[in-house]
Amino acid sequence: MIHPIIEIQNAKSLRLAAAVICLVALLVTTASAAHLESLKIPPVPADNPQTLEKIELGKKLFFDRRLSGDGTMSCVTCHDPETGYSDRLAISLSYPTTKNWRNSPSLINIAYNNPLFWDGRAKSLEEQALFPMMSAFEMNQNLDFLEEELKGVPEYVDAFQKVFGGEITRQRIAMALASFERTIISRNAPLDKFLDGDNNALTPEQKKGYEIFTGKGKCTQCHSGANFTDNKFYNIGVPDNPVLINDPRVTATMRFTAKVSGYKEYRSLTEDPGRYLVTKDKKDWKAFKTPGMRELDLTAPYMHNGVFETIDDVIEFFSRGGGVDKNKTPLLAPLNLSDAEKQSLKAFLLEALKGEVTVVKMPDVP
Amino acid sequence: MKEYDGRIRLVVKHYPYKYRDFSHIAAEASLAALDQGKFCEMHEYLLKKSPRLDKASLISYAKELGLDLPKFTDALDTMKHIKIIERDKKLAVDMDLYNTPTFFINGRKVVGNRPYEYFKKIIEEELK
Repeated sequence: MIHPIIEIQNAKSLRLAAAVICLVALLVTTASAAHLESLKIPPVPADNPQTLEKIELGKKLFFDRRLSGDGTMSCVTCHDPETGYSDRLAISLSYPTTKNWRNSPSLINIAYNNPLFWDGRAKSLEEQALFPMMSAFEMNQNLDFLEEELKGVPEYVDAFQKVFGGEITRQRIAMALASFERTIISRNAPLDKFLDGDNNALTPEQKKGYEIFTGKGKCTQCHSGANFTDNKFYNIGVPDNPVLINDPRVTATMRFTAKVSGYKEYRSLTEDPGRYLVTKDKKDWKAFKTPGMRELDLTAPYMHNGVFETIDDVIEFFSRGGGVDKNKTPLLAPLNLSDAEKQSLKAFLLEALKGEVTVVKMPDVP
Repeated sequence: MKEYDGRIRLVVKHYPYKYRDFSHIAAEASLAALDQGKFCEMHEYLLKKSPRLDKASLISYAKELGLDLPKFTDALDTMKHIKIIERDKKLAVDMDLYNTPTFFINGRKVVGNRPYEYFKKIIEEELK
């Protein structure tokens, strides 16, 4: 089977992978709900095809601190290849002197996720890429200024001309970043091999965990498809991170976000409204996107606010039937998993979903 | 430090944020306190009282710590330890560091505030 995987440090494989992506982008199979699939070719939008040069340009931008207002932050700050393309913090790093309010999701296999962000406010990676740059508590950059700043760098001017046949624009910056992000992939996990017919790919313990995951645990109600997400939103009763109200800077970030989202009662807000801020639909109150589940050992802490430090905490949470909230999804009910079942499930989650992750080295940023 | 008394060593480097009004003078305050044997105490104050780190506030913290105020104030006025601060800043830039706090535990890089247990796990591993 051909995989569109990019070993970024190897130019030859980069060229090959980019070519493969172009050829097979239309063959993508959509993950269907309620069952698992082995990893397939990631979807690529027709108006932003993968090319070697674009991926390389995106990688340089990904590492470039010019993308932040004060020049101290790049995308890597919160999505570090050395820490699972996240930052291993409960609440993500933030622009100096400010505080973030949500967990930084890993970018591993982000190509398979849509919509993006915990609240799903971006419909594509191209749309998503500009949000953190503009955000007051993330990179705090002015995009008009950024365009001019990058136009002052001859290497970028040449690269954009070569890749896009034109000048530097914010849309093209986002397209290059998205192209690079689509190459961050975990593949060849034991489960992929198992789902492709290799019955010996899982250990007996992992297989027990798989059966719990797809059976008694009912995990595939939401964690389905090739990247273990149905890309939908649920209120599962995750407790709020206390910093939301204990740290005035986090509170300010929460209320600012609610304010710019048009939530009228933002001044009295004491909890994260989640998807509601996007849809203004009451059923979405405190609902968050189902996260993908590959490389879980690299992406702790878990949930939209990082309140669970270990996978054991997460398993305990779901075994209890999730948290307490008046708007909680009816999909969750106590599972009453035994200790042995929890251990099997843990083995499945941490070992069977662990594959080979794209290795990215810091490029020469112009 | 108490838990691992005698087994670990903490080295603090200064990296005042370039766009923050009082970050340089606060770094100086910590070094002026070090001259009088109260670095850790002043460091705690700075973290607790931030962003109230203007000169008058720093002097009031020095007073609460029982420091020699004329000496302390003179250090602030002359930026007595600016060479140390600039040396540390250069080290950070040379190491391509831009985020504070950044920790190195026997070479293992940790960026951002972390719970104590996070550090404890790494320290235990390194002490094995």
